[in-house]
Amino acid sequence: MSRPAPPLAPDAGIRLDAAVVRLGGSVVLEAMTLHLTEARIGIVGRNGSGKSTLLRLMAGLIAPDTGRVRVDGIDPATDRKALLRRLGILFQNPDHQILFPTVEEELAFGLIQLGQGKAEALAAARQRLAQEGRAHWATAPVSTLSQGQRHWLCLISVLMMQPATILLDEPFAGLDLPTQARLARAFAALPQRLITISHDPAAVEAADRVIWIEAGRVVGDGPPGAVLPEFQAQMARWGAVDADTDLAG
Amino acid sequence: MLTLTSPVETPLHRLPAGVKLAALAGYTALLFALQAPGALALAGLPVLTLIAGGGRVFAAHAGRMLRPLWPFLLVVAVWHLATGAALEGLAIGLRLVIAVAAANLVTMTTRLSDMIAVIERLAAPLTPVLPPRRLALAIALAIRFVPVLSERVTQIAAAWRARSPRRAGWRVLAPAALAALDDAEQVAEALRARGGAG
Repeated sequence: MSRPAPPLAPDAGIRLDAAVVRLGGSVVLEAMTLHLTEARIGIVGRNGSGKSTLLRLMAGLIAPDTGRVRVDGIDPATDRKALLRRLGILFQNPDHQILFPTVEEELAFGLIQLGQGKAEALAAARQRLAQEGRAHWATAPVSTLSQGQRHWLCLISVLMMQPATILLDEPFAGLDLPTQARLARAFAALPQRLITISHDPAAVEAADRVIWIEAGRVVGDGPPGAVLPEFQAQMARWGAVDADTDLAG
Repeated sequence: MLTLTSPVETPLHRLPAGVKLAALAGYTALLFALQAPGALALAGLPVLTLIAGGGRVFAAHAGRMLRPLWPFLLVVAVWHLATGAALEGLAIGLRLVIAVAAANLVTMTTRLSDMIAVIERLAAPLTPVLPPRRLALAIALAIRFVPVLSERVTQIAAAWRARSPRRAGWRVLAPAALAALDDAEQVAEALRARGGAG
């Protein structure tokens, strides 16, 4: 198994230059400028703060209305082929991510997308399963897997494409504690750059850098010790008042 | 996952999928050529024999797979009794049951991946309009999401019952359709995140 490709030196990392995203007329991200190079990055914010939009922007699933986004020098929204080798996403709900009826097909899909032949990709999938001590999973229907097993399958599917950066969207939401511990251990061992998006400060407290998003703007940026206490205090203040009455739009 | 392939091994499992599908097509055409209920019943005997030959578990599974036919048989029976064409109705009913039983027999004895391989081979002339990879992806997605959608319907029905003394019944259809569209959007995004359908 070869290592993920090293980041391209001069324009390594994820760079946003005054990137603006409007959805349905309202501005969801306001002229965001960020340069992300750290190995472990956390992005925190409330529901509706714009952090999921930021994730989709970095992944190239949406393009900025104005401004610029680059992932290791690549435009993620237009150069999809090159981006696949640079960046992968782990979605929050495995049932929205798993596309195939059996485990081996799911694992092989990403490799086929990168240009491998079908037989070769299936062989690589079986080999990876064997390495992970799960050879007997190959032809198992994905619907028979437990929630934790599905998360594992999604993670390995992304890892097999060997991206240099992986975006994690609320990676621990809805998981029981043993599954959370297992996944956290798997993440910690990865050589990739990980960008974790969460509303939960505990999910990002071990990051090198934490970015706090509120109303489409960066309101905090720094080491977790500097950002998270104020974030938690603000969340507690908002939680104390019955302010959740405004409707969007 | 659709667990349609029977785990009970029969000699039919070893026949190539293409042969079984071709035989099924010919057999079904024959059923439509026969008009007399007696002739149809006779033509149904080999299918019955093959199902019975698979043993008790296999035959019981085959029987269960015919259950969804009853509303259709009921409509056919009511209509033909009302119009006084009982024999004709009997022929239609027999044809329906035998044709579906034969098709189920092929399904139960053929691995899904073999079936998909045959479809891809047959669709080869369509390559300029419909690349085989895209067709294979569409088939895989359909198989993957049938259980997901049925789970969704169960959830919506449960949410309904949690706040209503009555069963939800057909009323789950509209929210289930909307949920399916929503799911489809999310899946499309996941597909794009890993290189799209191309």
